[in-house]
Amino acid sequence: MKLMHTRLPDFYQKIKDAAIKLRPNTGFEVKGLESFKTAKLASLRVGRVEDEIYEITQDESVKKVEVIIVPYNPETHHTVIIKGIKEDGTCKKAILENMYLSSPTAEYELFDVEEIDDRRSGNRQ
Amino acid sequence: MKLKYRVIPQGAADGAVPLNWAFIDKKDICSAGLTDLEACKVVGKDFGDDCAAVNIMDMDAITVTSDGIIANGAVVGVASVDHGMINKEFGYLNISEIPFSQKMLDEESHMKLWLTDFYKGRKLFRGPSTEDRGDRTSHNENMTMTGRIANNNCGSEVMNMVEMTEILAPFFGQYEIMTDGEVIIGVAGPVVSVGIGMIVSERHGRIFGGNNLGAYRAGMTAHNSGVYAKTVKRDYPAIAAPKSVLAEYTLRAFDIGLVAGKDIGCSPAVLCLAKAYGKPIAYENITARAWIELESVGITKEFLQSPSKVMTREEVIANADSIIPGMEDAKKYAVSDICEIRYAEI
Repeated sequence: MKLMHTRLPDFYQKIKDAAIKLRPNTGFEVKGLESFKTAKLASLRVGRVEDEIYEITQDESVKKVEVIIVPYNPETHHTVIIKGIKEDGTCKKAILENMYLSSPTAEYELFDVEEIDDRRSGNRQ
Repeated sequence: MKLKYRVIPQGAADGAVPLNWAFIDKKDICSAGLTDLEACKVVGKDFGDDCAAVNIMDMDAITVTSDGIIANGAVVGVASVDHGMINKEFGYLNISEIPFSQKMLDEESHMKLWLTDFYKGRKLFRGPSTEDRGDRTSHNENMTMTGRIANNNCGSEVMNMVEMTEILAPFFGQYEIMTDGEVIIGVAGPVVSVGIGMIVSERHGRIFGGNNLGAYRAGMTAHNSGVYAKTVKRDYPAIAAPKSVLAEYTLRAFDIGLVAGKDIGCSPAVLCLAKAYGKPIAYENITARAWIELESVGITKEFLQSPSKVMTREEVIANADSIIPGMEDAKKYAVSDICEIRYAEI
């Protein structure tokens, strides 16, 4: 069962490896998960992303791969953790609050795209 | 074939309008043989590489303002468009008709206005049904989002999330846009900021209420933020109808016996109109939290209970600019001077 989920650092390595698998000089950039320092990802989905990155490099005109991860639901619901830290580094008190964020949707990254192949599950229209 | 639509373009009204806001008449969509979503896509493509908020307007229907006042016309669909795209899950929101029922009249006393000759028999649209909301979850507002544009509260406040600008359009202003009337455009200011939070309880309301009546009733403040309520929307530009229009529609509620702060909201505009028209105010029904917000913009019980000349309907409407507080640096525009009529290729 340990293969069910992928460690976040392994995810980053896997998608970079996929990008340069065909041509090692292919450029690569990933962004969107900067605030996540540790996480586990569903391995089957990571595998799909790896395959899709490899697939997109099949086109010889592709010189760089960008992987951008944005929330599916663009109005996100967050918990704000406000911590009061003492001199010795321990936390005296934490206050939890809700916060909502409306941020640009995936389309913001798609303005100049020639072809969009939407393979996400759950599309309604 | 072409689809007619209206747009208040970015930069209109001496630069006060920060983003494109398009309005499509439902009749023009029907004439073109399009669905509402298809019409939004057509308009989105017409904006090319630009972005816009889109409201679909049924001018034969009715809707309800945040004060609980019924208005002619209704927003029946909203969208956000950017580079011709509409986000598949969150970029479009249909707003279904709400059928008449005695239960609604019993639960939502402001809806008695629907029985008056002004509105009787007309279709009602306020907020989306549960099905309309689609993939939106409980924390999501009645909002569409595509690319840079968010169109919130069923088409009454729109934002550019990259430039981080925003503009409001209370519904009577939208009606003026659709009918080539007049609008006032200015900064909402603290009075409007307080007032738009003083809503009524509704199932499937424009802002709140899904299948239930929501947590807020007339006499309460949905902002519920004390002296800070006056800052919430203070700095945003707003497109509103002339105050005489707001007065005319609000007096219709008083004329059938609806009471400010009990049946309809307790915004500064409603309370000041009630005072001028000599109509009762449900002082005891207005919560302490609401009074904090009202007093923060100078609307106190002492002021409201102070003696003043009771005006006739005609006098209130004629003096609406001095009776109704709110909007700063506001300037009146003929809609024809700020609104473009465009025809999009289908």
